[in-house]
Formats: sequence, C-alpha cells, structure tokens
Amino acid sequence: MSSTSTAPAPDVPLAALAATSLSPKRPGGFFSKPSGWLSVAVLVVFVLTGVFGPMLMERPGGLGTDILQAPSGAHWFGTDDLGQDVFTQVVWGTRISLTVGVVASLIAIVIGTALGLGAAYLKWLDPFVTTITDVMLSLPLLPLMILVTALAGPSVTTLVVVIGVLSWPEVTRLIRSNGMVVAAMPYIDGARVLGAGAVRIITREILPAVMPLIVVSVLLTAARSVISEAGLSFLGMGDPSSWSWGRILLNAQRSGTIATAWWQTLFPSLAILLLVLASTIAGVRYNDSRDPRTKGM
Amino acid sequence: MAMPDVVLSVENLTKHFTARGSLLRRSPHVVRALDGVSFDLRASETLGIVGESGCGKSTLARTIVGLERPTAGRVTLRGEDVHAARGRDLRVLRRRVQIVLQDPYTSLNPRRTVRDLLLQPFEIHRDLLPRARREARIDELVELVGLNPDHLDRYPFQFSGGQRQRIGIARALALEPEVIVCDEPVSALDVSIQAQVVNLFQRLQRELGLSYVFIAHDLSVVRHISDRIGVMYLGKMAELGDRTDVYDTPRHPYTSALLSAVPVPDPALRGTRSRRLLEGDPPSPVDPPSGCRFRTRCWKAQDVCATTEPPLTAPDPREQAFACHFPMTQPATTAS
Repeated sequence: MSSTSTAPAPDVPLAALAATSLSPKRPGGFFSKPSGWLSVAVLVVFVLTGVFGPMLMERPGGLGTDILQAPSGAHWFGTDDLGQDVFTQVVWGTRISLTVGVVASLIAIVIGTALGLGAAYLKWLDPFVTTITDVMLSLPLLPLMILVTALAGPSVTTLVVVIGVLSWPEVTRLIRSNGMVVAAMPYIDGARVLGAGAVRIITREILPAVMPLIVVSVLLTAARSVISEAGLSFLGMGDPSSWSWGRILLNAQRSGTIATAWWQTLFPSLAILLLVLASTIAGVRYNDSRDPRTKGM
Repeated sequence: MAMPDVVLSVENLTKHFTARGSLLRRSPHVVRALDGVSFDLRASETLGIVGESGCGKSTLARTIVGLERPTAGRVTLRGEDVHAARGRDLRVLRRRVQIVLQDPYTSLNPRRTVRDLLLQPFEIHRDLLPRARREARIDELVELVGLNPDHLDRYPFQFSGGQRQRIGIARALALEPEVIVCDEPVSALDVSIQAQVVNLFQRLQRELGLSYVFIAHDLSVVRHISDRIGVMYLGKMAELGDRTDVYDTPRHPYTSALLSAVPVPDPALRGTRSRRLLEGDPPSPVDPPSGCRFRTRCWKAQDVCATTEPPLTAPDPREQAFACHFPMTQPATTAS
C-alpha cells in the first residue's frame, strides 16, 4: 500500500544484477571451473562429430559379415545383428540427434520467450498465457507426441516440430516469472514516462535482462529434446531412412539381441547421457557464473 | 502578485485500486489511493506535496505523468488532457511532463551506460533531434547537472547515489519538459547529498524555467524548495497554500501536528515548543472514515466531522485553503 519506500540495493534481483558482471576481467567466469570447460569441450566434440563424422565415415550398411561382435579394435563399439558397425551408427546418429535437439530447442525458446515476456509485461495477456501454459504442462506429452508423429508420418521434420512445439511451456514459465521481476523495476517506469511503448520495453529493457536465462533454457531444452527424440525414435516414430541414437536402440530391440548384445544399447545410451549431462552442466555453470552471489564458488 | 499562468492543472483526480476478491470472498477491496485531489501548478513554480507514507503522494505523481490511469478526474497540461491523448499527441504530451524517480539505484537500467541511458529519450522521440546532434546534446545535459562528460561510458553502478540521481535528472531534462514531477527525489540520498541535489533542482528551475511538483515526506526539504505546499492525508488534500502561510500559520490540525513533529536543530530552543503527537496510524484507505478523514486522530473532532466532509476552501482568498470544520486559529508552533 505504501508507495513511498522501495527496497534498497541488496534486493536487486539476479537478472537485474547480471550486467554488473559484464566486465572482462572478472573472477569466477564460465571457464574458471572444470565443469565449465569440460562440459563445453564435450559439447564441442559432439558438434564436430555431428558435422564432420558422416563425411569421414561411410554410411552404415548391412553387408558386413562380422555379426554381433563384441567391441574390439576393428569395431570399437561392436557390431549389430546385420554386421553394421555400432560406432559408425552412433557417429551418424549424432548428426540427427543434435539437429533435432538444437532446432526443436530453438523453436521452443522462440515461442516460450515471446509468450513469457508478453505475459510478464502485458497484464491483459498474462491470464491467457498462464492458462495455456498450465494446460500444456498437464498434458501427457509422450502419448501426445506419439499420436501427432504417427498422424503426420515419421520424418525428422515432424520430430523437430512436434518436440519444439510441445516443449515451450517450461520456458514460458521461467521467462515469465523472471520477466515479471524485471517488469516491476522502477527503470521500466522510467522508460514508460519517456514514452517507450510495450514492444520497445519488452525487447530493449526486459529481454536483455533475461538473456542469461534464455541461454540456460536453450541448453536445458536441447537436452530434453535429445531425450524426446531418442524416445520417439525408439518407439518407431523416427525417420526410417536416417540414423539416430534412438533408432539404434530400436533396431536392437527389434532384432531381439537387446538382451545379449549389450554394446548395441550401451553406446548410444552413453552418447545420450553424455550429451544431456554436458549441456545441463553447461547451462547450470553458465547460470552460476552469471550470478554475483555464487561467483567464485 | 499577478496571477501567473497555470501550466498543469489537476482536477478532482481520483485513483482507486481494486484488489480483486478471491473466489470465496467476492467483495473486492477498493483502495482509495487518491480521492478527489485538485490543484494548479503555475509556470516556474514549485508545489511541494507532503504527507505520511500511504497518503497517495506517489500515486499522485504516477498518475500525473501517465503511469496510472485515473479512476476519475483530469490532469491537463496547458488545457490538454494528459490521459485522453492518443498516439502522436500522447508522445508530445509525454515529452512535456517528466518524472524523477525516488530510488536512483533501481531507476536506471544497470545494463546501459550513461550514454545509452541519455540517448534513450532521443531514440524514443526520433523526430526531436537529428542523430548527429544527439551526442553534443548529451554532453550539454551532463554538464548541466554537474557530471563529468568523460564518465559517459560508465555504468550506473560505478556512480554514487547522488550522481545517479543527477543522471536521472539529466534524462528527465532531455526532452525539454515544462513540468517535472519529483517523486521523493532525495529521500534515498545521504543528507549531505540531499542539499546538493535540491540546490541543483533550484538552479535548473532558474535556468530553464521549469515547474516542479515536488513530493517528499521531509518537511524541511519541501520548505526549502517549495513556493506553495499541499498537505495530503489519506488520498485527499488537507491544506494547500503558500509556503509561509502553511508553515507559519497552519490551519488544518493535521498540518499543525505534522509541523510540530519537525525536530528543532537548536538545542537551546528544544522543549520550548509544544509537540503534538498523533495517536495511532492513518486509517486504511480501503475503508476511510466517514466525513473528515482525519477525525479519528483529531483532538478537535466533533460530531459534525463524522457526518459532513469539510470541503477544501479558502475563507480568505489571500491565505491558504484547508479542509476543516474547526481550523486552528493561531500559530500552533509558538505556543508553549
């Protein structure tokens, strides 16, 4: 009720303080801890594999005579029931899994950020966005994804769109709640008095303040998208003509060798685990390095 | 004194905030933050607004500059309704009434340099100044408020509170307004810095012919800077008049009690003055008292105060206006 006192500096929210750490010589930067550079190194390896791997290796074919071989010098990750090299499959799968993860994550981020920021600043929009977000979050996503993919026909594009369009609610929630903190800052009022319109305030004042969160969201959503992609591919919703990690698992399951040829499921699963772990840690590390309160910890 | 021209006119301004009731408790709370406030602001004049926390001072400031829409009443700037304007008219009107916010620590975007902060008004109002001349104008503004132009590429957190408030003032001045609403511009500053900033406000007024609505709860600061003073209580104007009238011969009991609470800086005079302590807190603006709003804490209250609301009138047009059935008759501050 009392409008005469506002909280002093100590309560300035994280997002608003983030900029104070912009100076280049700050301690506690992203790479100052192993979790920072290690996770990025892993991500870089995955990206390089995804981009250049398929150029250096032949597409896995079914002509091999080495069937169901355990990992060895000739076949690092062993071979499957058709004699296809699992390592080659994992390398080829990296490209599809990464693409689906990144593009789906970008779709989710664009939708999620736009709705989240709009809801944070525009009072009339907020109830609608909140309701839709809640409904989306309460839907059983996996059955829905299966249904839509089955109806649209399995392809990489379908996967990307389905995963992207169904993954934005978490982003919206995150961006909305943090955007509301920024929207309540007095400097937003200051911009309004100067005559700034809603679009200018959202894009020039609030968006930069929540940018660090968006970066984190991209990484976390990409990780979840990779898992979704693997799950859908494993359930046979992937593109049958392209390789992905989930498809390797599906093949293992289909051929009935899943119980005996452990290498056929272990290595694609490890790839998924490593990628998800690396991007999650990178996201968390980025968030920590931006927060002045946990800096240097 | 000839009647100077009125720049800003506030007519019966009312702002009610509705705190929506929950599903079970349907009746919504209505917070009557402003309930029929009227005053005129003349050219090159400073109108001080004082009052306790929660009396509607900041709501008044926010409504004047258009951050809030009034429930009723009008704010007119040289005859044009501030809240009825749309599009281009609104942008022009916005330009002419600016605000200096209370807290210099949160009222500047921490991600922008001072240069960016000062360029922002010109980016919003592109037609005001050609791009090539903006930098020069910024240097001019910075010097006007007493900052070093070499510091333009620093971030707000590299400045002290007083310097930040100067940045805020420079930003308000960028659009060459006629009226600046100062919403407690010095209350977040150290006392030594307060004087500098208040003097800056006075110098700018002399040089640029600005009119101020100066809101504060520090009576001494308001007395120092204001030509006229309005005393607010629970969303209404209790007393409004020239500084000397209001401070030396307060007519409304609330003003008198408020003034008696000002500390006396001279130890020799201490104790020679009666101090009237009001009991309790101001009533809630959700459910204000009937009749005169001050009656629940007023020592002069009688039955008529509960039934009839006293209007804000000036019995003697040369003196201040006040809203009280039983006004103070003599200077309360001299009684011992």
